[in-house]
Amino acid sequence: MWRGLLLLWMTVSMVAAFTWAPLVPGLEETTRVLYFHIPAAWLSVVGLGWSMVHSLLYLGRRRIEHDDHAAAAAELGLLFCVVATVSGSVWAKAVWHSYWNWDPRETSIFFILLIYGAYLALRSAIEGEERRARLSAIYSAAAFVTVPFLMFVVPRIYFSLHPDPLINPGGKIEMDPRIRIGFGAMLVGFTGLFAWLLSLRVRLVRLERVQLEAGAVPGGSL
Amino acid sequence: MSGNLVVLGVALLAWLLLFFYLMRLERRIKELEKR
Repeated sequence: MWRGLLLLWMTVSMVAAFTWAPLVPGLEETTRVLYFHIPAAWLSVVGLGWSMVHSLLYLGRRRIEHDDHAAAAAELGLLFCVVATVSGSVWAKAVWHSYWNWDPRETSIFFILLIYGAYLALRSAIEGEERRARLSAIYSAAAFVTVPFLMFVVPRIYFSLHPDPLINPGGKIEMDPRIRIGFGAMLVGFTGLFAWLLSLRVRLVRLERVQLEAGAVPGGSL
Repeated sequence: MSGNLVVLGVALLAWLLLFFYLMRLERRIKELEKR
């Protein structure tokens, strides 16, 4: 039921964003990237934050289910981080005439990709479920400290080519109402998609663990 | 406007393909969980 609703919601949101919402003067047709780029960046923070929460829960309770959530959320956070980077890069080429400019936000997201790429490398390098879960949880909890700093603080300290944040220092969202509705709808839709992906990935991680414990060949034909 | 519609078409196609792939994955996971 909710999946059908998500299908309808995202389809209508996309059509509205492309045909009903106006273009931002100066950005013209590239305005459409906004409906994918910002939700992806938002969900990367949500995913990495969710990973940190479950890492702390694992360290407190030592239940392996929290490690499943932490690993799945970090993978998805990293995936959405890549989507935000690629979509931002395409946008940068259209607006700033270069795919990569080492703008503070670009530099920040580059470091986040490195930090969480290392998290996944760490997970794959450690033998033993309990040891992997414990060390990964410590790393994830410590790594997330850098995320608010890199995502929200650095771009505000240094000069940035990026436009002002959506919510300006006066606490107002300065957007055309139709763009705001389209953007909000896409943000909700992307968040629903994220929740679905997270639930699927957690279940897959559990199945893989059960298979390993049963001595079956890991992987499979999913 | 036509370029805009082409991009919309590609975005919708990508979304539909992703959606139906995830539905297939969901079914497969349910089957595995039942075993």
